[in-house]
Amino acid sequence: MIKWRKWNNVLHRDIGYAVVALTIVYAVSGIAVNHMADWNPNYRQQKEALELQPVQGETTQEMKQHVMRQLHLADEPKSVFRPDPETIQLFYPGQTYTVDVPTGQGIVESVRTRPVLYEFNQLHLNSVKKGWTWFADLYAVALIFVAVTGMFVLKGKNGITGRGAWFTIMGALVPAGIWIWYQYF
Amino acid sequence: MRVSIIVIALLFAAGSALSGDGKQYGKQLTVKEVTKISDIMAKPDRYNGKRVLVEGGIVDVCAKRGCWMKIASDKEFESITFKVDDGVIIFPMDAKGKTARGEGVISVKKYSVEQQIESGKKHAKEENEEFDPSSVKGPKTVILLKGEGAVID
Repeated sequence: MIKWRKWNNVLHRDIGYAVVALTIVYAVSGIAVNHMADWNPNYRQQKEALELQPVQGETTQEMKQHVMRQLHLADEPKSVFRPDPETIQLFYPGQTYTVDVPTGQGIVESVRTRPVLYEFNQLHLNSVKKGWTWFADLYAVALIFVAVTGMFVLKGKNGITGRGAWFTIMGALVPAGIWIWYQYF
Repeated sequence: MRVSIIVIALLFAAGSALSGDGKQYGKQLTVKEVTKISDIMAKPDRYNGKRVLVEGGIVDVCAKRGCWMKIASDKEFESITFKVDDGVIIFPMDAKGKTARGEGVISVKKYSVEQQIESGKKHAKEENEEFDPSSVKGPKTVILLKGEGAVID
């Protein structure tokens, strides 16, 4: 084995170990956000119906107090909003109460983060920004390095000049073929 | 071996720069003076195309992509939609009830009945939902704040 291949394999192995954790984070998050049209990968949303008495009060403040009394809510909401004259909304951390003023019917919507997946998505979609942008760039470069050095780990018939070439070409043809299909057909 | 350990150590050292308080979304705010949402809603044509900074409680957030949020006006029964391009900024769903300061450019678009029906049908098809053309009652003016940056709470 010539010297460059030894270094290639050592760096491929060790940098490969280093990127395992983040590759799993990105891959799991990638699957989750790929299906964003079908679900919210960050939050679990729950809605429950409320049956209250018609909301009384002349002002928003009075209406808020009446809703709070009916729901036995002791803490003040973070904010109150009236999207239209017939609706009042009370916002609490992670919970929104929406009540129809004339009928008292309403909905309480609870929002909770999905454990683990939320954190994975924050990293994958770079919500953290700042230093993470550079770290994620470095990770991407490391991933390219692992991919390229991976082609030269083996020599001979299973290496890039033999069987490896066919697998590498197949791996490139799949995304290229799909792109061409969507572009022209 | 020593070289590869140094390379890996550098990789992890870069992570030490990790930070972020999670309050700033998108670009830094540059406009200093807050424009009342009620002023924009009252005279939208005057603000069309202008860069503004608005402030108010967050009353709704896009449940799918976090690509918009509604900011309550200083007047009752009014809010403005702060819309960003998909993926550029993702607003957290649990931001509802918090206060936002958002900067962007006001966009005012007027839609005829025909345009609303056409767009309603298209949207319904995409979302696999029913659309009732009779729900369109007349021409509509849509006022959006094309958001570029926001600070929440």
